[in-house]
Formats: sequence, C-alpha cells, structure tokens
Amino acid sequence: MGIQPTELSENDVDQTDELPVKSAVAGRSPTQIALARLRADKIAIACFVVVVLFVVIAVFAPLLTKLFGVELNAGDPVTQLDSTNFPLYGPPDFGFTWKAPLGIAPNTADDNLAEWFYGARTSLAVATIATVVSTAIGVVVGLLAGFSTGWLDRVINFFIDVFLSLPFILVALALAPIIVSRFSAQPARLEEYQFIALLAVLSLFGWMTLARLVRGEVLSLREREFVQAARVIGVPTRRILFKELLPNLLAPIIVSISLGLPAFVTAEAGLAYLGIGVVGIPSWGQTINKAVNFFDTYPLYLYAPVVGVVLLVMALNLLGDAVRDAFDPKTRR
Amino acid sequence: MRMKKPAVVLSAAALMTLAACGGGSGNSSTSSETKSLGAGGGAGAFKNATAKAPLAVPSDAAKGGTLTVLTNQVPATLDPTRAYFTDSTAIMSDLVTRSLTQYSYNEKTNDMQLIPDMATDLGRPSSDNKAWTFTLRQGLKYEDGTPVKAADVAYAVKRSFAIAELPDGPTYNTTFFLDGDKYKGPFKDKSNYPGVVVKGNDITIKMRRPFTDMDYYASFPQFTAIPQAKDDPQNYESHPLATGPYKFADYKPGSSLTLVKNTSWDPKTDPGRIQAVDGWNFKFGQDTAKLENVIINDNGSAQTTLTYDNVSASSFRQIASDKARLVTGTSPCTYMWFIDMTKVKDIRVRRAIGWAFPYEAYWKGLGEIEGVTRVPGTSILPPGTAGRVQYQALPGQDGKTTDPAKAKALLKQAGYKPGQFEIKFLFASDDAQAVEGKNQIVKGLEAAGFKATPLASTSETIRDQRADAKGPSTVRSSGWCSDWPTGGSWFPAQWAGSLVGLEGMPNPSNFKEADMDADQNRILDTLSPAQAAPAWGQFDRKLETKYYPAVNVGYSGTAMIHGSKVGGMANDNVRGMPTFARMYITK
Repeated sequence: MGIQPTELSENDVDQTDELPVKSAVAGRSPTQIALARLRADKIAIACFVVVVLFVVIAVFAPLLTKLFGVELNAGDPVTQLDSTNFPLYGPPDFGFTWKAPLGIAPNTADDNLAEWFYGARTSLAVATIATVVSTAIGVVVGLLAGFSTGWLDRVINFFIDVFLSLPFILVALALAPIIVSRFSAQPARLEEYQFIALLAVLSLFGWMTLARLVRGEVLSLREREFVQAARVIGVPTRRILFKELLPNLLAPIIVSISLGLPAFVTAEAGLAYLGIGVVGIPSWGQTINKAVNFFDTYPLYLYAPVVGVVLLVMALNLLGDAVRDAFDPKTRR
Repeated sequence: MRMKKPAVVLSAAALMTLAACGGGSGNSSTSSETKSLGAGGGAGAFKNATAKAPLAVPSDAAKGGTLTVLTNQVPATLDPTRAYFTDSTAIMSDLVTRSLTQYSYNEKTNDMQLIPDMATDLGRPSSDNKAWTFTLRQGLKYEDGTPVKAADVAYAVKRSFAIAELPDGPTYNTTFFLDGDKYKGPFKDKSNYPGVVVKGNDITIKMRRPFTDMDYYASFPQFTAIPQAKDDPQNYESHPLATGPYKFADYKPGSSLTLVKNTSWDPKTDPGRIQAVDGWNFKFGQDTAKLENVIINDNGSAQTTLTYDNVSASSFRQIASDKARLVTGTSPCTYMWFIDMTKVKDIRVRRAIGWAFPYEAYWKGLGEIEGVTRVPGTSILPPGTAGRVQYQALPGQDGKTTDPAKAKALLKQAGYKPGQFEIKFLFASDDAQAVEGKNQIVKGLEAAGFKATPLASTSETIRDQRADAKGPSTVRSSGWCSDWPTGGSWFPAQWAGSLVGLEGMPNPSNFKEADMDADQNRILDTLSPAQAAPAWGQFDRKLETKYYPAVNVGYSGTAMIHGSKVGGMANDNVRGMPTFARMYITK
C-alpha cells in the first residue's frame, strides 16, 4: 500500500527535491534510451551522415547542377559525340573536365552528373513517400485488426492475406501498359500518372508485414491493465488506440520504417531497370539500364548510378539495423 | 519481306514493320571505316542463269566443327510457306529448304546474284510474261532419301495460297498468279488449282497479269518442295523436310535450333551452297551485351560463334580495331516518317517537317552509327535498286541536314505561328532507346516551330496502334524493304491509292493522288521490265518532289561480328544477314 501524502513530513519532501542522486537517475523514455544508444554507435552515425548527404543532394539537386554548371537533358548528340556515338570530351577517351565531371552519356550526350543528382532525388522521393504511405496504412490496419475482435479482424486478416499472395512484380508489369495506353495522348500527365502509379504499387505492396506486426503487438497489449483501466473509465476507442497503444508500438514502427526505406530504393531502381518504373524522369535504374551495354567501353557511365544505389541502400540498411538494435531492450552491448 | 523480328524490349529496329530483300551498293558518303558499304555494284539485280554446281569449298576451310549463332532476335516461324522475315528466310533458304532459284554471294562484286537452285535455270517466261516455266534438276533428294518431284513444288505453290491456315507469308501470288484472288489453298479447296501445271520435270506457273519478276520471287522458301503426304500445316514448321545441306535435329521455338548434316544433299546439284561444317547451333533471344562480349573476347568456342544482330554502339569501337571480324554492308531498307496526307494537307508544312527532322541526333539517340547501321539518303528506293534516281526532294537536303530556320520560314508561309502546328507521333515508352530517339525528335521539332506531341505506346502494341487509320498520329514511323531490287516491289505495295482505308494501313501516308495512280498503272500494265526500272526511279522522284509524303530517315546498314575462326561470312545484301550458305570454320 502506498504512503498517504499526509503521512510524509514536510522535511522529507523538501529533501527529496534536493537529492543529487535523483537528477542522475532521471527518468528516460525508451526512445531517449534508444537515441542515446544510437549516438554511441559509430557505424550508425556514419550511415546517418551518408543518408543526410543524399537527402541534401536530393533536395538541392537543381542548385547543385547549377553549381557544377551542368544541365539536365541538354546534350546535343550531333556536336558532342563522335562518329561512333562516344563523347568528344571527358571520359572515357579524354581526361577529366569540369564541363562534365562525370562525363556525358553516349548516344544522347546528356550530362551524367545532372542525371545522377536528379536520380538521387527520384530515388529518395519515391522511397520516402512510399514508406510514409505504406507505414500509415500498415499501422492503422494493424491497430484496427488487433483491437477489434470477431468479424472485422477476420475481414482485415483476409485482405492482408490477399495482398501478400499477389505477386508484386507481376502487378507492376501488368499495370505499366494499362497506364501507358490510358494516358497515351497526354505525355505530360503520363509522366505524372506513371509516378503516382509507381508510388501506389510500392505502397500497396509494402504495408502488410507491418500491419501483421502491429496487430500482434496490439493483441498482447490490449489485455494489459492500463488499457483495461482506460476502457473502464470510458475512454473512447480512438483515444485508446492512438494515445494508449500507439506510443507503445513506436519501436517496431521505427524499425519497420528504417528497413523499408532501402527496400523501396532498390525496388524503384529495379522497376526502372525493367522499364516499368518512372519514365521521363531521371532515375538511377534507367541510367543503369542504358549503361549496362557500356560496362566495358565506358565503365564510369555505369558505375556512377550503381555506386549511388549501393551507397544509399547500404547506409540505409546499416542505419536500420542500428535503429533496430537500439530499440530492442534485449540487445546487450 | 519483313525485317528480322525485334525482341520485345530491346532493339531500335522495332520502328520498322516491313522489310527486306533487294540489292545493295552505292552511296559511298560514309566514313572511311566502312569501305565495304560503298563497294558492290549491280547489287542483287545481277543474275547468273548459268552458275555451275558444285560450288567449290574454299581451300582454308577445315573439315567439320559446329558454328554457333547467337542472336537477340526470335524468328517468328520457320514454316517455309510462312517465312517472310529476313532471319527466317535466310536460315531456311541458305541451309535447309531449297527453292527454284536462290541468291548467292559473289566475291568479286561483293554482292548477291540470283542463280538457279532446284531449277536448272532462272525460269523461262512466255513472251507476254504471263507464264513461267522452271525445270527441276535431276538427283534432288529429301533428307529421308526420297526423290524430290515436280509435283511437290507445285504443292508448295498451292500451299502458299492457304493464308488462313498459314498466315504472314508474302502475298504476291494472290496479286499475280492465275486465280490468285479466288484460290484459297489445298486445305480448304480440294479442286485442282489451274495456276500450276506439272509436266515431267517442268513446272509452269500461270499468271493473271504480266509478272516480270517471277525469277526473284521463286527464290523465296515458298517455292521449295513439300511432299503433300508429309504435310501437316500446324506442325510442319517443327521439322520441315530438308532439301538443302542441313536438316533440323532439334527446334525449340523461341529458344534454339540445331541443324545437322543432311547426307542426302548432293553438292553436284547445288551451285550456291557448301556443306563444310558438321552442324549449326542457333540460340535465339540472347542478351545483346552478353553475346557481343562473348564474340569480341574470342575465347574457346567463341571463335566459331557469330551473330546476325547489328553491333551496338558500345561494342562497335572495340571491334572496329579488329576489322577482319566485322562484316558491314547494306540491307536495302528505307526508314521513313510517313506524313498523313489527310492531316497535313499543306505541302509547305510537309516540307517543313523534312527540314525540322533532327536526322543525326535521332540516329545517335537510337544508338545507330551513321554510315554503318544507318545511311543518309533522300530517294525512297534504296541504293542498289534497278533504275534508282539520286535526287534531292528538298533543294539542299542531303538526307541528314536539319535546318530549323528553313522549317520556320515554310511554316510562316503556310500561315502557322511557332508552336501552332501540332505533330503527333507514337513511340514505345518501355524501350529506352526509342525514348531517347523520341526526345531528340521533340527537341528538333520544337526548335523548328512545331508543337511536338509524342504519343506513348508499348513495344507490344505500337505496331497495331500505328496501323490504326483512325488513330491520332500525324506521322507514322515505319519503313519498307524491297522483296526484289526493282521499284515494282515498292510503290504498288505502299503508294497505291487503292490501298487507302484497307485493314492494317498498308499505305501509311494515306496517299491517294490521281496522277500518281495513273503513273503506276501505266508502268505496271504497259512497260517492259527494261523500261519499268527507270520509270520507277522517275516515279520515286516525282512522288517526293511534288508531294513529299514521307521523310527519308535513312537506309538501314548492317554491321555484324563473328569469331576469329568463322570463315566465309559476308553480308547478304538482299537480306542484311550473313551468307550462311557458304560459311565454314577456318583451319
């Protein structure tokens, strides 16, 4: 049984406030603990720096291209390429030049650096939006399924199973020509809709695992005392879901986000490589697709986007691992 | 003939639907690296009715071995009656199924000439060109040892009328042969077809209108021998009975074809083929980068490997230093931008398109190498065609000059403000190279004061959409290749007014002008072969100078690579394929 406040002497109360020990053992939320662990992790910090660098490149792509004096899709194949369609300046035949720090593309003479900057932008934009949308769907669906009993849970589970059984690549492959033929006559809108379709496909196929994870957590949490107490005193369901349950799910959600981001970066590049991703917008996947034939004669053309994808995905993956370790109370270091 | 079928995603050749055949020579406005392109001369128009069998096996040929052919293409069908693509025709005619006549490579002139094959000569026309008689050689045998009979050739001719059962083949027989418009082939029509008469070893084909080019037409695999008893229209392509030096051992449609020696073939009956290697291994649908890398590195079995795909820009410079392994030449096809006459009625606007088109940028964007895989030109008839006239439809336009100022001036004359006249054209959005080509066209048209609206399509559907007469396209990107090197296989097939409105849009410009139609009928009905050839050349000039219904976007060229031990590989400038019939492995 607790001590009634009235039983405490005034002296005691004053003393507790001044105790030095108290401030040292100040209460820290699990998130704070995790962040502290992350800060101590050198790999995590390095990866974070890399990711931030890519974000800066993506956000300031137009500024950076201007800074380097290059321009997107401004190549003139007739004057800038030789008779075998290779660049007349810069790599692979001539030395480094500030005119085109990463060289220009064979066949089109478009600047590789500008393409790379904007490719980073496409990659990160697609990955971020798809992660946010799929996480939102996953969390809401998972909370609903976990908290509701009976038919709603079963219906939601059925839908999760349906989406898990749809083959992602096949749906993407099937959707691409449909969108092309639907917006065939409006080239400007086509690019827009292809972008939206890509986001939709990635988001629609990215939420199921998180939904299942959240549902499982909610199932175990909803019978806990604090939730039952909240119910007893008549807290509305919405409030229970988002104020009582959601904060306790923060760790799995953050882990899922941090592992989802790199997966979406690769998925975007992969789809673009297959020719069913974004078209008309520069993307690393498309550049790789075009550059594969040149792996022997013009390696830099291929390496630039490959290094971009590898660096970004590796940094995001390692950061994701570190985040998961940091949030996992069972991890001992 | 149709061009080798492009694979679904890759290959810029997807722009082209119909193609092949004809001579090759001529235009030497090319870079110094590609001398062989200018060589040649009389091209396929050259005939040699007295070619002697057997063809000598070259002295540097080793006995045996297997040649491997890697390609990105997948032949549509290998049924002799249906083969109408350059690749299937070359494989069948050169190696497996013999026809009445054949094309054979002439080393001295570096081009193909028409020589007899199963027939003893190139056919004997009647004085009015309405009946052709071919005499079959003695000693011809099928792979199973049974003799080839004249009735079997007659049956193959009848079979080529069965378009419903065996579609996609050439259809000159329906246009020229007796009752060609009525007879539906031996499967539906059991009655005796009066157009082919067999008498001993003589086969006589009767025409319903004068047909002067029958000797060329007789070189198609349609004019092989097929024993009626062994025919099953659905399955014959899985193992067509061989009359040539090689026979089918294993055919997996879409992936591979293995040929082995046909021991029943007698070199003494064949003036155009040798049987130096033991067999052939065709592998279809291969990755371009991979197969080029294999052949260029030339290790082990790659030394006896070749491809009939055009070398990509990335590999061209690697192999250009080793010219002995690069075979270049022409495959007389003309790529064209057909301007829809019903949508662009003003000749000044059509001429403006001719000045606005970014020829060189477009070729580079597609990954074509100018002077090697694309040759600039202005006449519709490609170099090597009999009677061809070299002219400039737009004064000063040499086939690769882009002049936005002239285009703007013409548009202004026609009363259009910059950006007012809209050009709509289709492109395959899933083909990276086609997209680059499209980007260059958009840049060029906009610089010249047009409004460019590219219409997205997919590699799979673009041909059907392009052939849709009701579609929104202002221009249609396509082309044509001659089936034989005279204008007669060009203009009646694409530029006759009677073709407007037909299913599949055979006349892509919707071109219908009374005076040009009258010209065509005059040439077809009244002129002799000797008069017709130059008349077609003049027709070509008049068509482009007076109406400008199509922009010439270049002739196609061929640049194929092979391993260091592949011998006898030259360019078959009738098809743009290797000369399979006389290839061997060197010692």
